[in-house]
Amino acid sequence: MQEKVQMLKKKARWVRTKVLNTIARLRKGHLGGTLSCTDLLVALYYGKIMRFDAANPNWSERDRFLIGKGHAHLALYYIWTDLGFFDVRKLEEYGTDGSSLGFQLDRNIPGSEYNTGSLGHVIGIGAGMALAAKMDRKAYKTIVLVGDGECDEGSIWEAVMFASRYRLNNLMTIVDRNQATVIENRVEDDGSGRLEEKFKMCGWESITINGHSFEQILSAFTGLEKFNRPLAIIADTVKGKGASFLEQGAKWHHLVPSAEEFDRVIREFELEAET
Amino acid sequence: MKNAIDFRNAFFDNLYDIAIKNKEVVFITSDMPAESLVKYNKDFPDRFINSRVAEQNTVSVAAGLALSGKKVFIYGMLPFVTMRCYEQIKVDICSMNLPVTLIGLGAGLSFDVDGPTAHGVIDIAIMRSLPEMTILNPSDPITASAFAETAYSSCTPTYIRLHKGRTPSIYDNATDFSDGFSILKNGDDLCIITTGVMLHTALRIRDELKRYSLDAGVIDLYQLKPIKEDLFLKALTNHKKIVTIEEHSLIGGLGSIISEIITDNQRPISLKRIALKDEQCFHYGKREWLREVYKVDADSIVKQIIAWEKK
Repeated sequence: MQEKVQMLKKKARWVRTKVLNTIARLRKGHLGGTLSCTDLLVALYYGKIMRFDAANPNWSERDRFLIGKGHAHLALYYIWTDLGFFDVRKLEEYGTDGSSLGFQLDRNIPGSEYNTGSLGHVIGIGAGMALAAKMDRKAYKTIVLVGDGECDEGSIWEAVMFASRYRLNNLMTIVDRNQATVIENRVEDDGSGRLEEKFKMCGWESITINGHSFEQILSAFTGLEKFNRPLAIIADTVKGKGASFLEQGAKWHHLVPSAEEFDRVIREFELEAET
Repeated sequence: MKNAIDFRNAFFDNLYDIAIKNKEVVFITSDMPAESLVKYNKDFPDRFINSRVAEQNTVSVAAGLALSGKKVFIYGMLPFVTMRCYEQIKVDICSMNLPVTLIGLGAGLSFDVDGPTAHGVIDIAIMRSLPEMTILNPSDPITASAFAETAYSSCTPTYIRLHKGRTPSIYDNATDFSDGFSILKNGDDLCIITTGVMLHTALRIRDELKRYSLDAGVIDLYQLKPIKEDLFLKALTNHKKIVTIEEHSLIGGLGSIISEIITDNQRPISLKRIALKDEQCFHYGKREWLREVYKVDADSIVKQIIAWEKK
């Protein structure tokens, strides 16, 4: 386990460095919400939580992964190229005119199941996929990742109630609860603070974990077969995770650090890597 | 009405036959019943989903099913399967070009006394701005039935507007609807283009105009998008005057479509658009009475055509 966690930490550091470098180069992007869910994404793809075949992204038995917060696309692009879903050279186009890689995901990109950009759709889409798996007696699971800000969308709760009514125990939703949206930090007693309870009240299994602890993320995905209802994993995260000065909530939703600030972050990463 | 059949029965009976043969057909209703759906629910319980009063999620679930190889039919009240979930239609179905069919019950003023929330009079305007969408507007039970097959055969998004109620058939079973329109009558003086159940009114108007020595042709444009423009323009050759008749807002519906085609192709044609006034209807009464209020009943339209003809 310890070895696996070390490997995941290393991968996560690599993804963060790549994301930071790219955003610093382009002077454009969404750092905060990307860094908050980086550990979750790394765990899903490198922690053997998901079954996939990078050489055959449309493999019919693959686990489906849908992300609502497409702003985190850059972390996924690096993960997907690293795993071989598509050529890393394609990433050189990113941010240039005519690039096939946008600032949101679309289904033409190998690895992406859905066209992101509008919040609140993915639990419903995931419920449709999970329902199709039941109809066709297929074993794949569907994992959805949404932000806690995204959970303000009413359509999320339509989907949550639907999934519970159809007992979609092959559907899991991770909430990246970084407690910050674009313009404000959220507080404990508003919607974000009681998500575990809300999912439970809608008929889901629901647990809260530290979204930066690989041990806790991996453990949340073990023993899934014991559930007969869909599962919500509320992952407490920090917006901008990985760089102390970025960890200030809403401020770094789409601001880009200065060259000096950027250097400071990279130094922090290097220091962390040495310890 | 002798031999009159409800559009829902015509459509769903055919869809039932399609579903027997094709196991990938899945039906989702947002809590909307129909007499002819009972046997569907009974015989295919695993492929009949009531997603209840949650239309946004209905569309997202349909997209998830379609992404997993299903052919999905969504059924609900027309305003709620179009406007309530418009963004889901745009993003989840259209942007991924999925084989999902939306069936909206209540075209035009079908739900006459229920006020503007239930009327289907601005939907063509918004649905036709979705690039991937095919729009079918049946005018009788034969077209309603045939369009179940058209939608099933399609691999892309389709929207079907169903009139609520019974009408006699105009077409016969052997008709080929693949051109998207039918010329029902030829006429030397003007051409009436209509869509949906207003076709029945248009045919009465044609008869009435004869008394005024006006010979009017009648075209039923049941596929509002996409339109086979070359073929359609050919049908308009020799016509110098066109009247469009619809039970939809003046903005964005049939009249707009014809106006765009004429303008874009620089055709020297005078166009008179007869449609519903640009307002939310808070008049309550029977559908025929509402048509009189909005001057889209046969008598009012005849008067408008004659006045326009004289100009």
